Amino acid sequence: MKFKQVIRRLFGSGQQKPASLQAGKSEKMQKMLKMLSNTRDVELSCDDVFAVLDQFTELAAQGEDVAKLMPLIKQHLDMCPDCRDEYKVLENIVRNVV
Amino acid sequence: MVYNPNMEKRTNEEWLSALHAGGDRQAQALEDLRAIIRRGLPYAIAGRLDPNSPEAEALSEEITQETLMRVLEYLDTFEGRSQFTTWAHKISVRAALTELRRRRWREVPLPEMEMDEDGDPSHRELPDKQASPEVQMDRKDMMKRVNRIIMEELTEKQRSALMATMDGFPLEVAAQRLGMNRNALYKLLHDARLKLKKRLEKEGLTPLEVLSVFEQAGK
Repeated sequence: MKFKQVIRRLFGSGQQKPASLQAGKSEKMQKMLKMLSNTRDVELSCDDVFAVLDQFTELAAQGEDVAKLMPLIKQHLDMCPDCRDEYKVLENIVRNVV
Repeated sequence: MVYNPNMEKRTNEEWLSALHAGGDRQAQALEDLRAIIRRGLPYAIAGRLDPNSPEAEALSEEITQETLMRVLEYLDTFEGRSQFTTWAHKISVRAALTELRRRRWREVPLPEMEMDEDGDPSHRELPDKQASPEVQMDRKDMMKRVNRIIMEELTEKQRSALMATMDGFPLEVAAQRLGMNRNALYKLLHDARLKLKKRLEKEGLTPLEVLSVFEQAGK
C-alpha cells in the first residue's frame, strides 16, 4: 500500500463525505416510496435519453412544454439522478453559452 | 492553429463538412470546437470542484481532449436534431460528470442492507421526537413490512443497487462497483421498482399510502 493510501485510510481524504449518506432510514424510505409511486411499466433507458438530450434541452430552453412533447424523457429525468444532473448542466450551457 | 471566434458561427452542415475535411480546415474546426467546449465546462465543474484550482484546469483539458476524440469518432451519428455545438457539449458534460462522480465517491463503500439480531432487515432509527408514540409505532411496523418485502422480492444485486441509490450513489458509480454499465443498472432498478410496486398492490397498498405513514405529523 502506498504512503498516500495509508494516510487516506487513517485520516480520510480530507474531502467531505457526500451529504446524502447522512440521510436517516425514514428519509430514504420516503425517497424510495416516491420513486415507486412514479414507476411506470415502460421506461426509457439512460442511453435512450442521452440520444435525444441535446434536442430535449434546446426545446426546454426555448420555453417549449417538454413534459408534454417528450413525456418519457421527462419521466426518466425525474427518476435518474445522473441523467438529471447532466440535463441541468447542459441546460445551463445552452442558456448561457450556445 | 489559432482559435478564430468568427468561425464559431458555422451551420451544422459547415461543422460536419469541416470536421470531415482533414488538413487545415479540420484543424481549424477542432480548435474552434475546443474553445467552445472549454467555455461550457465551468458549468459542469461548478459546485463540484474549485473552478480556479489546478485540478479543475487539468480536468478541463483532459475532458476537452476526450470530447474532441469522441466527437470525431461519433460524427456520423449526429442527426442534426439540435445545434451541433449542443451535441458536442452533451458529450463533454457526460464525460466531465462521469469523472467528477468517480472522484467524489471513490472512497465510499457500497451500503449493505442491515439486519437486526434476529436476522430481520433492520428498521432501527433514532426516534422522531415530534412524532407521537402511536405514529412512531406505525412507522416502525411499516418499515419492517417494506423491508421484508424488499428481502423477499429482490435479488441480492437489486437490493445492493437500491440501497446504493437511496444513499445517493450516482448510478454510474454504483454500476461500476456492481460490474455492469449504467444502462443495465437502470434496467435492474426499474425491474426492482416494478416488483416492489406490484407486491405492495398485492398486499392492498399503494406507495403513496405507505408514504403517508412516514409523512404524517405526530399528534
